Amino acid sequence: MDYNQVKLLQEIMEVGFALIETNLYLDTHPTDERALMLHNTHSRKYNDLYNRYSSKYGPLTYTGMSRCPWEYIQGPWPWEIEYEKCHWD
Amino acid sequence: MWIYEKKLEYPVRVDSCNPTLASLIIEQFGGADGELSAGIRYLTQRWTMPTNEAKGILTDIGTEELAHWEMIGTLVYKLTKNAPVDKIKDTPFAASYANHGKSPFPHNAAGVPWTATFINSKDDPVADIHEDMAAEQKARATYEHLINLSDDPGVNDTLRFLREREVVHYQRFGETLRIVEEYKDSKKYY
Amino acid sequence: MDNKMCPNDEYDIDSRHYKLAHAYIPYQNMCKIYDLKEALCKGTLFPELYMPYKKYDRRKKY
Repeated sequence: MDYNQVKLLQEIMEVGFALIETNLYLDTHPTDERALMLHNTHSRKYNDLYNRYSSKYGPLTYTGMSRCPWEYIQGPWPWEIEYEKCHWD
Repeated sequence: MWIYEKKLEYPVRVDSCNPTLASLIIEQFGGADGELSAGIRYLTQRWTMPTNEAKGILTDIGTEELAHWEMIGTLVYKLTKNAPVDKIKDTPFAASYANHGKSPFPHNAAGVPWTATFINSKDDPVADIHEDMAAEQKARATYEHLINLSDDPGVNDTLRFLREREVVHYQRFGETLRIVEEYKDSKKYY
Repeated sequence: MDNKMCPNDEYDIDSRHYKLAHAYIPYQNMCKIYDLKEALCKGTLFPELYMPYKKYDRRKKY
């Protein structure tokens, strides 16, 4: 998997993780409007990145569109990828 | 239903070839307080939860636990994939290798296979959520033991992430417990 | 996220509303959050829930 693909995938993982956190928070705070706003902002960002990734590298879920041959099964699978180290500055 | 997303929750990295460490980490793959137990426990308890908040939190944390299970399997896979058999022979991983080769298998670090007796579902939301909170604390403790046992920086990085998730889940179950108790009070059923 | 609107980090525990033989965790009030990269690395989006483990030092006995 080339550098740009891993980078984009890890960006999806970052936004995806923020969505996991606001999802769990909202489950027990369903009327927190600031959390909802934040969730919706991340949701939009996630969809954009997700679409950008799928159109370049194939779908991450079976519901996505694909060129021929079926791109969904193309490797590497998630456990085979050499990821960039997690860091922030 | 569920939809698989072809990604991990966290970028799992491993810095060594270390079958011994893999044989310890398998505790969280198929042990009593491991990720498989957590996922199946929470997803099983959903049907008898009285509030939508509780149904939501069990669904979503249960789903996240399956993603953690995938991460643990990835640690085991990456720690053993380049190990030649003679580097496995004299390690504790050999016992698992004899049956399963390099496939991660849901048993604990001592080889006890995963069983549904590791979990429960009581049709009693207070009892169930107490079990869930205890499970998060037991998993946190296990991650601390594993961090103590591991010298691999990449592995420790992932173990710390998973440990922190236990803290967050504990908070959410604590909030859910109060929601369920308040609901009970409002309904006056005992 | 700006932190001007943050309540202080203390969670009020009013014991009058608490019953014996019940367990209580205070509700979290979301306020500041980490940026997304930092959140993923740390394992939470919420600074008030970030409680990292200090590795056992094998040179020390306890």
